[in-house]
Amino acid sequence: MLWGDEVEYLVVTYSKDDPRVLLSLRQADILKALANDESLSIDGGCVPDLQHVGNPHAKKQLPVFHPEFGRFMLEATPGKPWGIDFKELLNVEPDMKLRRCIAKDHMLQNEYPITLTTFPRLGSPGVFTDPYYPVSGPKLRSQFVPDEIANPHIRFPTLAANIRSRRGRKVQVNVPVFRDEKTPWPWKDPTVNYDMHQWPEDDDVRNGAAPDNFIHMDAMAFGMGSCCLQITFQAKNITEGRQMYDQLSPLGPVMLALTAATPIYKGFLADTDVRWNQISKAVDDRTPEELGEKPLKNDRWRIPKSRYASNSTYISTDPRLRPEYLDPNLVIDQEIKQQLLDGGMDDRLATHFAHLFIRDPIVIFNEDLQELDLSKTDHFENIQSTNWQHMRFKPPPADNSIGWRVEFRPMEIQITDFENAAFAVFIVLITRAILSFGLNFYIPIVKVDENMETAHARDAVLDRKFWFRRNPFPVRPSRAVQGSRPASGASTPNGGVSRPPTPPTPTGPVEDEYRLMSVNEVINGTAYARSSSTTTVGDGDEDEEEFPGLIPLVESYLDSVNVDVVTRCELATYLDLIRKRASGELWTTAKWIRHFVATHPKYERDSVVTEEITKDLVGAVIIIGGDDASQQGVEDNGIKDENSNKKRKGDGGHSVLEGVPDLGRLLGRFIRR
Amino acid sequence: MVKLILSTGNIVSGGPSIIRKPGAYRSNLELTNSLRSNFLAAQQDYAEEIPESNGSGLSDDSTDFLRDGSEPALAPVSAWTEQEGDVIYVPRIDWSTAGLQEEPSQYDITVKLFFLPTAPISDRAQYAKEALDLVLKELQVPEVGLLIVSFPGMSFEGDCEWEADRVNASQGNDEDEIATWLAIEDLHRRGLVKNLGIAEFGTEKLARFLKKVQIRPTANQINIKNCCNVPPPLIKLAKDQGIELLVHTDTTDILSHGTLRGLLGPGLQGAGVLADPEDDTSEGLKGDLTPQWVVKYTAVVRDRGVIENKGYFASAGLTTN
Repeated sequence: MLWGDEVEYLVVTYSKDDPRVLLSLRQADILKALANDESLSIDGGCVPDLQHVGNPHAKKQLPVFHPEFGRFMLEATPGKPWGIDFKELLNVEPDMKLRRCIAKDHMLQNEYPITLTTFPRLGSPGVFTDPYYPVSGPKLRSQFVPDEIANPHIRFPTLAANIRSRRGRKVQVNVPVFRDEKTPWPWKDPTVNYDMHQWPEDDDVRNGAAPDNFIHMDAMAFGMGSCCLQITFQAKNITEGRQMYDQLSPLGPVMLALTAATPIYKGFLADTDVRWNQISKAVDDRTPEELGEKPLKNDRWRIPKSRYASNSTYISTDPRLRPEYLDPNLVIDQEIKQQLLDGGMDDRLATHFAHLFIRDPIVIFNEDLQELDLSKTDHFENIQSTNWQHMRFKPPPADNSIGWRVEFRPMEIQITDFENAAFAVFIVLITRAILSFGLNFYIPIVKVDENMETAHARDAVLDRKFWFRRNPFPVRPSRAVQGSRPASGASTPNGGVSRPPTPPTPTGPVEDEYRLMSVNEVINGTAYARSSSTTTVGDGDEDEEEFPGLIPLVESYLDSVNVDVVTRCELATYLDLIRKRASGELWTTAKWIRHFVATHPKYERDSVVTEEITKDLVGAVIIIGGDDASQQGVEDNGIKDENSNKKRKGDGGHSVLEGVPDLGRLLGRFIRR
Repeated sequence: MVKLILSTGNIVSGGPSIIRKPGAYRSNLELTNSLRSNFLAAQQDYAEEIPESNGSGLSDDSTDFLRDGSEPALAPVSAWTEQEGDVIYVPRIDWSTAGLQEEPSQYDITVKLFFLPTAPISDRAQYAKEALDLVLKELQVPEVGLLIVSFPGMSFEGDCEWEADRVNASQGNDEDEIATWLAIEDLHRRGLVKNLGIAEFGTEKLARFLKKVQIRPTANQINIKNCCNVPPPLIKLAKDQGIELLVHTDTTDILSHGTLRGLLGPGLQGAGVLADPEDDTSEGLKGDLTPQWVVKYTAVVRDRGVIENKGYFASAGLTTN
């Protein structure tokens, strides 16, 4: 089994002389610098978009960098996929640190790669990019961001323009504003300009695109400019891939709430904690007919969700998948489904792909339409890669080099590589526990949708409950089911050495199979949640059966395999971080950011995150997330903690961490790693 | 003497008995819970195919009181256990479903053999052979990758691991352990076991042990509450000698006489295999029961990190007076 992680960065410019922290738009130059660094390519590092390949014979396999939608973003992946060897899991964090270090080394001295989901003042009035460009360009037609915010490669501005054009107006990304003591109410987004007349789309806000009490945004960059942490797993075969897709699906909303890191948009505190719905709205290309605003005339369906949304169906051949779990209102393209069935695909998988294919392609290159090349899967990938669901089921590429894969996409990026490695490794271990113990997390898919909405609430990790399956264990295979008495000596119907198949779950009412649980209960188990609860929702009513908890399941898995002392110790710190985030002993990134803003001396309790607060916040994030090398740079640029005269801790740059408020609430005992 | 072979079947697919309880750092709960649930499962499964009027067995009536509508019918002991010569299998084992799904070379197979304080040391060579034979038969493999031997009376416990390491030096019995090791080395020489390992050896004890054995262990399992506090001398010794320090959560004396009686006895928690010693009229096996050994086996698909099969066998001698 191979797997990989993807980490995305914002690139900011920061220096003590500049009162503002800005997004650097030098993505292309940074990637060029990375690609031209021969010492990197000798060791396999590369930028696949600029170079043909890395050096496959390199001894070390250095990380690989990729462009992203935002011209202020970078993506980095390991130089080669990870294996499942437990010692290899410990290489993830150093590799992530190395990526950050290499990226920083190829930037200007005042540029930093940071892992915040969104830039707090993206789209705020005034200057927030370096260099500055005026807003209201022909592609995005945004009031708030310039066209130059997007990667200039033709694909990206075209993507944005085509979404806008298909939709018939600009995207509307409205986030409820957080109402603080002095927030005017009703709140009207003061940055919205109702007097622009450059483009027809400027009418949008005059036609009600910016309702009261919502932060209003109008461009793809507000969503696709978000950074996240994605994990891709290779499956043994298609059957296992389909099983993993289904079983990880109900975990998505819980992991989204647990990794919450996005409380600020466009210079205002939002009343939500995660990025998900904003990305969803930022790429929502549905027409008024598809949205149900007008009767269907030219379009074929009403479509309930954006093309960026939670999963809409299950795909496994698992007999435990009851028809009741599926959404009876799932929209599919019947013709495409029939074509797939005729070609020999089974009903469930055909349904899945026929659902993906209700979407139009957003960008097609002319040359790809000249001739149909059946040795390539580009046209399929074009639809597949613009269906951004929280899981992605990835068929093998045309050359069949890597097999069936499943991508887990809901998690938000964390400030430090320690946290990002912890969540990545946790998901890997969960998949191993699922496959080993035959775990069953099925709930009706519409309940997963509901959970996804729940995950958005401010502090959902502590204050909300999620639908989750009561009993995750498989039903014990009965000896009688084999249809032969062992003593009789008759041959079993299975023949040979294979174990009897897991019988289907006995059918009681589906509603009895799940109940509401806090994130603490899902992650740590009912018993732990009862004893540790700092949450406001209450955990595990006395009469509820106990849920074992994902971490105890992972620990039971680790108890059953040979793990050396050092490795187990490191893995324990990862599990401990996650345990404490779930129980509330440690704060989510979102909560820490909110607290940073709320306690900033310049914060006026009016939901406004000013340039000065943003500068200090990003400065703190640079310190927390930075490796030693860049911390040195940070100090050179004047980020110093107020107590820097205190005795240094002896390990170089780490002493600057003392200047970061409430870091202990975010990272607990893990600060000094 | 009659021998009882207790088995759990594959417990990774068997539900909650494999899941560790909060705060339980080391315990035998996995063994006892999975034995209990496998006994109950066998009682239910074999009842399903026996018409109630047709039952005949040595303690047929003993389970009648459980048949009160809400509870599933339970098979009589004679139906869900099986006697072959002097060996009684509790429950009976369907060897036709034994084996692994992939080629044996795909697996890391680890076997941990617990010698118990209740059994004579002189029989350990025989015990090791019996235990390993059962595992090889259950997994349908010619050899296992690692055999870890757990000797009675050893522990590595204490809030302060330095103290634990010191106390450990005088635990167990060096002479007996070396003598037993000779028999274990033989399993290696015969190609049944690739690597050997031990459990709960502290710095001093391990150093003494290494001086006296021919085939050295490649792994030493230790149980420590906070695994970040391994005593540095032990880390150094293990590193110098090429021995991997592995983590485990088992108790050393994993199956006591009392626990075994509870599992097999006539009470509500018991399987009804043993007669009630207080009641001369009760059905079931009579005599003195001696736990002899316990063996745990785990087969992990190496490249995928998936545990395909894990379970226990336990053996007890029954002498009738």
